[in-house]
Amino acid sequence: MRALCWNGVNDLRVERVPDPTILGPQDAIIKVGLSSVCGSDLHLIGGHVPTMRAGDIIGHEFLGEVVEKGPEVTRLNRGDRVITVSIIGCGKCWHCRHEEFSLCDNSNPQPAFEEAAYGHCTAGIFGYSHAFGGYAGSHAEYIRVPFADTNCFRVPEGVTDEQAVFVSDAVPTGYMAADMGSIKPGDVVAVWGCGGVGQMAMKSSFLMGAERVIGIDRVPDRLRAAQMKAGAETLDYSRVDIYDALLAMTGGRGPDVCIDAVGMEADSGAPSTKGLAIEDLYDRGKQALRLESDRPAVLRQMIQCCRKGGTLSIVGVYGGLIDKFPMGAAMNKALTFRMGQQHGQRYVKRLFEHIEKGDLDPAYLLTHKWALDDAPQGYRMFKEKADDCMRVVFAP
Amino acid sequence: MTSGRDGGRRPEGSAGTLERWAAILGGTALGFAGARRGSWALSALGGGLFLAGAAGVPLSSPLRQAALPALRREPTTTQANVTIAVPADKLFRHWRNVRHLAALFPHLDAVEILSDTESRWKAHGPGGVPVVWNSRLDKVRENELITWHTLEGADLPHRGTVLFRQAPGGRGTEVSLTLAYHPPGGAGGDAVSRLFGVAPEQQAREALRRLKRIMEVGELPTIDGQPSGRAERGGSRSRMQEVTG
Repeated sequence: MRALCWNGVNDLRVERVPDPTILGPQDAIIKVGLSSVCGSDLHLIGGHVPTMRAGDIIGHEFLGEVVEKGPEVTRLNRGDRVITVSIIGCGKCWHCRHEEFSLCDNSNPQPAFEEAAYGHCTAGIFGYSHAFGGYAGSHAEYIRVPFADTNCFRVPEGVTDEQAVFVSDAVPTGYMAADMGSIKPGDVVAVWGCGGVGQMAMKSSFLMGAERVIGIDRVPDRLRAAQMKAGAETLDYSRVDIYDALLAMTGGRGPDVCIDAVGMEADSGAPSTKGLAIEDLYDRGKQALRLESDRPAVLRQMIQCCRKGGTLSIVGVYGGLIDKFPMGAAMNKALTFRMGQQHGQRYVKRLFEHIEKGDLDPAYLLTHKWALDDAPQGYRMFKEKADDCMRVVFAP
Repeated sequence: MTSGRDGGRRPEGSAGTLERWAAILGGTALGFAGARRGSWALSALGGGLFLAGAAGVPLSSPLRQAALPALRREPTTTQANVTIAVPADKLFRHWRNVRHLAALFPHLDAVEILSDTESRWKAHGPGGVPVVWNSRLDKVRENELITWHTLEGADLPHRGTVLFRQAPGGRGTEVSLTLAYHPPGGAGGDAVSRLFGVAPEQQAREALRRLKRIMEVGELPTIDGQPSGRAERGGSRSRMQEVTG
């Protein structure tokens, strides 16, 4: 089959590779129909995640058809149209049984990396480096899914492929971000990052009763989409001081819930924003020298802006160490931190119901549908945020 | 491979096999520890030791005194702990069936039951070198504890304990595996590393992880045999997988 392989920093190529086969009794093989890019792939492609190996197939947000299944798969049939949650649960360990699927004890076949770096290993993720299991990704004609009964979900008839594909990752990640904010009626929610996950967090915040939602970005078409599609007010951090603006919009209180949908490659704003240009140079310099793996500009800003006693909900991805973390502000303001990779399996059913009822229509995230052969160019466009690109989806 | 048991008697001025292996293994361990902690000094020391060992440079008096005591703790005791979401009686029964243990310790080839309390174990080291020992059960407390020790003449003399305790809050069973190695030439843990190519801590931890995965999900999740852009260039087996066990 054809698959998109990572061969080194910013070196993606579509190559011929063997077809996947059933390796465990709970596996299924899915014929990929749609497979989306994701912002978190950019960290891998750019070499910020150290356990990528040349030849790895990337991609983790996908929809397809069950074409083969292992003898212990009971809830799926050949021909089923399914989405697969990007983060793999075994369904049996204590964490999976408590719906914390991304903390699964068993799905990562290469736990030594994470145990050394993080103290414990977490779940395997498709196409997401060997620290997260080294599973082959979905930018391919076929993909093998372990523990298929736990991780594959049939798509209801009333939901289109273009809507469903994002229920693999972007929608549940945004939904979980809002869920972790424990939003109460009257709450103001600020979301850093107006990409796919950020916009889903905005929509979800409204579904959970937020009074106002404020989206923060600097890419004009993303700010426009956050306004038009997600119903948010928006702030362009390259033009305004975010702290001043958020306090002005909230009577000096600050947002009740701050959501990080950016992660470790944040930048700190325009030179006009006071003091932040120096902070950005500092973080970029340290990251380039590998003295700091992640740039925490969004985290620092959220801590500064958040209402006293408010909640920070972090779904933007971090991989390693940060520094200059304003712990004094966080502690004295009694902030709550919630974070994690998505527990998508917990939310899929609820999300399909929202989509069927018309509460939520993630299909607009799909701005470009391209052939798999054009995937390297697709990633380039996505990275440069060119041509109003929100998400490129490949159709093998 | 068993030459490490010569106890380190050798002519002055040339590094003995034991010392060379200790330097190589210790150097590797220090190198990795250094890399993990981002400590160049530790990595460099490890690299130096490794090279000294590989080249047979005698690490005579001062350096040997400084570097080797830490590597020569006798016996080397290692413990691994894991919580398994399965009741203790089920885990106990599984462990008592020695046929199941080969799946936990991949170096194990065969276990032969000699009597109610004695058994004969055959394993292999790198390059298929046979490692053989006889083992006797000391204590067996139903659903709680199994202890054993190896008998005279074992290639890998050790004592072992596996303990099953109910975990709080319905989390299943806490399992502890303790292995104390007493190789006749000293250098406890290194001898194990030398015999199996895996550090003893890692061996114990991996064994309990396999037990957990087999008992909780009924299979060992794997990526061996999946496609990649490497497969076309020869072999789809993951090198990382070999390293991690």
